[in-house]
Amino acid sequence: MFDLESSIRHWLRSFRKYKAFNHGSIREMELHLRDHIDDLLSTGCTEQEAFEKAVREFGEINPLAREEYWNLTPKSVSTSLLNTIMLNNYIKIAIRNFWKHKFYAFVNIIGLTIGLSIVFMIALFVSDELSFDHFHTKKHQLYRVVENQYYAGQPVFPVAVTPTALGPSLHEEYPEVVNFTRVVFQGDRFEVGDKKIVENGGIMVDQHFFEMFSFPLVQGSIESFREQINALILNEELADKYFPDKDPIGELIKLGDEEFLVTAVIRDVPGNSHLSFRYIKNFENYLANNPDRADNWGSNWLYTYVELEPGADLNSVNEKIIGQIKANNEGSVTDIYLQPLLDIYLGEVDFTVEVGRKGEMMYVRIFTIVAFFILLISCINFMNLSTARSAKRAKEVGLRKTVGAHRNQLVVQFLSESVLLSITSVILSIVIVALILPSFNELANKEFSLQVLINPESGIKLVMAIVGITILTGLLSGSYPAIYLSSMKPVSTLKAQVVTGKQGATLRRVLVVLQFVISVILIIGTTVVYQQLQFIQNVDLGYNRDNVIYTFVPGEHSGTFANELRQQSGIVNVGLSNRHPGYVLSSTSGFDWPGKNPDETILLHYMGMDEHYMETMEMTMIEGSAFSHTDSAVVIINEQAKEIMGLDDPVGQTITASGERKIVGVVKDFNFKSIHTAIEPIVIFKLPQPNRVYIKYDDREAENIVSIIEAVWNKHLPDREFDYYFLDDDFAEMYDAEHRTSRLSSYFAGLAIIISCLGLFGLVSYATEQRTKEVGIRKALGASVRNLFLLLTGDFTRLVMISLLIAIPTGWYAMDKWLDNFAYRIDLSVWIFIFSATSALMIAFITVSYQSIRAAISNPVSALRNE
Amino acid sequence: MISKNLTAASTKPIILGILKQGNSYGYLIIKKIKEMSGGKMEWSDGMLYPVLHRLEKDKLIRSEWIMSGDSRPRKYYEITELGKEALTLEKEQWVQVNAVLDKIWDVKPST
Repeated sequence: MFDLESSIRHWLRSFRKYKAFNHGSIREMELHLRDHIDDLLSTGCTEQEAFEKAVREFGEINPLAREEYWNLTPKSVSTSLLNTIMLNNYIKIAIRNFWKHKFYAFVNIIGLTIGLSIVFMIALFVSDELSFDHFHTKKHQLYRVVENQYYAGQPVFPVAVTPTALGPSLHEEYPEVVNFTRVVFQGDRFEVGDKKIVENGGIMVDQHFFEMFSFPLVQGSIESFREQINALILNEELADKYFPDKDPIGELIKLGDEEFLVTAVIRDVPGNSHLSFRYIKNFENYLANNPDRADNWGSNWLYTYVELEPGADLNSVNEKIIGQIKANNEGSVTDIYLQPLLDIYLGEVDFTVEVGRKGEMMYVRIFTIVAFFILLISCINFMNLSTARSAKRAKEVGLRKTVGAHRNQLVVQFLSESVLLSITSVILSIVIVALILPSFNELANKEFSLQVLINPESGIKLVMAIVGITILTGLLSGSYPAIYLSSMKPVSTLKAQVVTGKQGATLRRVLVVLQFVISVILIIGTTVVYQQLQFIQNVDLGYNRDNVIYTFVPGEHSGTFANELRQQSGIVNVGLSNRHPGYVLSSTSGFDWPGKNPDETILLHYMGMDEHYMETMEMTMIEGSAFSHTDSAVVIINEQAKEIMGLDDPVGQTITASGERKIVGVVKDFNFKSIHTAIEPIVIFKLPQPNRVYIKYDDREAENIVSIIEAVWNKHLPDREFDYYFLDDDFAEMYDAEHRTSRLSSYFAGLAIIISCLGLFGLVSYATEQRTKEVGIRKALGASVRNLFLLLTGDFTRLVMISLLIAIPTGWYAMDKWLDNFAYRIDLSVWIFIFSATSALMIAFITVSYQSIRAAISNPVSALRNE
Repeated sequence: MISKNLTAASTKPIILGILKQGNSYGYLIIKKIKEMSGGKMEWSDGMLYPVLHRLEKDKLIRSEWIMSGDSRPRKYYEITELGKEALTLEKEQWVQVNAVLDKIWDVKPST
């Protein structure tokens, strides 16, 4: 018996073989056939006849499909990829999804926001470090002349200061050197009206300084600075300080005993200049007062900067000038070369004397790496959570595919979702950065403001970088879910048989491991940095810097001043010296002693002190005795000097150092430079009345000590202001950079761990949720809370263990390398690694426990009933 | 019978021409063509649909599903302004071809 309906269905089925026909066109043809059959039936045909005729006249389907196929061009697909209607739909679905899974969305956004905030702050820091001296228009033509000094038996001795005569001679002899300026740093006592204040941060420069460097003028002119040797240029800060309500130009200021004329005001030197100063004097003025210094080749004491002609080849210039000092100073062991201006701040070489503060390329690199890792961890979190939730989204993918979504469209959907999320995080993190910027500035010793975003020069770059990071983060973190989810087969997803793919689970494990490897390395790194910094601050300096105040007293008064201080209660001892104990930079190769090889040049540092100084500073004598009251023409050497001079029994020997001097003793090595460098040889002269007074006080008198000293001061030096300094403050300042770095890196490490744990927490919550029913059944069958807890946490604990196995050797290797930068370094103790491993495990365990315990103690009935 | 090639070439102006007289749907368009050609054009009904879809894609016609009363839903096609322009162009071309052919038929063979 002929069945019309089933015949039509059968006929329609043959269309489905072809991709060319969509649902709409098949329906259209079905209606065509039915209309035709109806017409034929009305003419008296039987159903079978009508059907057969209609089908025959309709024609073959195969050529039809071929024709229809031409209508399917990629054009329609490409337009639908960016279809605004679909885009709206994606955003709508994304927002609904966030809303429905608030917890996961929250974990995702918070993790990414914290990560991005850190990345932004590091970016601010790093870009500032890298921007040093870039504001000079001639930055690529400017160089500083620096020295390499070679002494027998000692490593190369790099020095950034040069002799007075070097600059002019380079300018005269080499046409490539078009300009030069010498720079000398100094402080002066300013006297304006009744104000008498010691100001630091003055420089003396040659007249071409302003042609070479770009320090903009606010008022006045450079011309008068060149013409008048007593000209003075102030920065805005000092101009406001001394002339708050009048025009400073043409005013006179007494500096020391000389009158100077203010000829110009410059803008305050920006924070990212390696040359930092507040007022400028003319170097000609100095030369006028010290005419014998002009041709000096022997004493390295000032910085020489040169400008090369455009296009000059640095190497060939360096080759020509290398022997300039040797040629002019017989017996010199000094080579010179040009150091590019842009290399000064972040340069690799640690010069013995250096201008102001210097950055460390190492920290810039470390922070950049940390930023990269933190961004990576945050992205991993996002990927992990998204793939974990893919089971939930699988149905959506299946449905979208069924109603005709292309795979490309799905990829676009998931990527736009993650970009949307990262944009949210970026906005949040900018708000966070804005809020914590003041504290960050304090910590990093910088002056960042969000105004840099509007600054036309750096702002655009920064905004571009932020936009770049945002999109990159979005794409990076969305890429795996996008590719993975879009590849799912619609049939299996709709049958709801698939749980998360095995592949996805493996990848998630790998990512968790990677995340913890990074976190553990950060913990190890932070711990080692912290310990090392503690170590170098507490390293035995060879003297005791605690409870010491020092001040400057003119030589003729220092002896009596010190004597009177010694009578005061609360003062333990008073010693005099001509140098700062942690900053002895004077050195010479001009000493001679019995048995010295005449062909060798040996560099020895030197300083002077009275007979009380060593006792005051608690230095230890190894051989012989300290200076006594009656000694004159005597020296003490340190252990290093004894060794390098080759004296087996030095006490009683005579050395020639500006006259013959007897060695009375050997002092235990003490550190008179940065802890970064090893102790060098030093010769100590006995001086009758050096100008630095070091006062060791009793800790119990700490509160009154300043007023005790001040009373004595006012008695002896009534017309001078009393300035005083605490010795340990100087050390705190010396290690300021290290302190800040260690604090910064511990914050970063802490936050990195928080981000990792946030990710872990989200994953565990998800895994536990997935296994709610399993837990319920196990519990109903008698599993204990302990069993369940172990079951749920076991997997993640294992992953953290694997991370430790990878992280510990890597961390050990990296930190060992880092420690090699220090002359005094800690040994990497096992405890550091045990500490890092336990803390990582503990944190992970606590994170995992919360969810696991909650699941384990839940009522199995509620777990099983939720269908 | 009109040859396959010629039929194919004339489909576009025929469909556009029919639609210019009023909106219509696939089966009705076919029926009209068959009536007008007296069954002389060699069509298989199905081949109309790819042509309709192509014309739609080229924006010469547009379509809309219409449900009216109790009858079946129909996909109605409507000619667009662009389609009308295209039809004028086609018409001119066919008239020209026709004129050429007319002239040729009129020429007496010169023996």
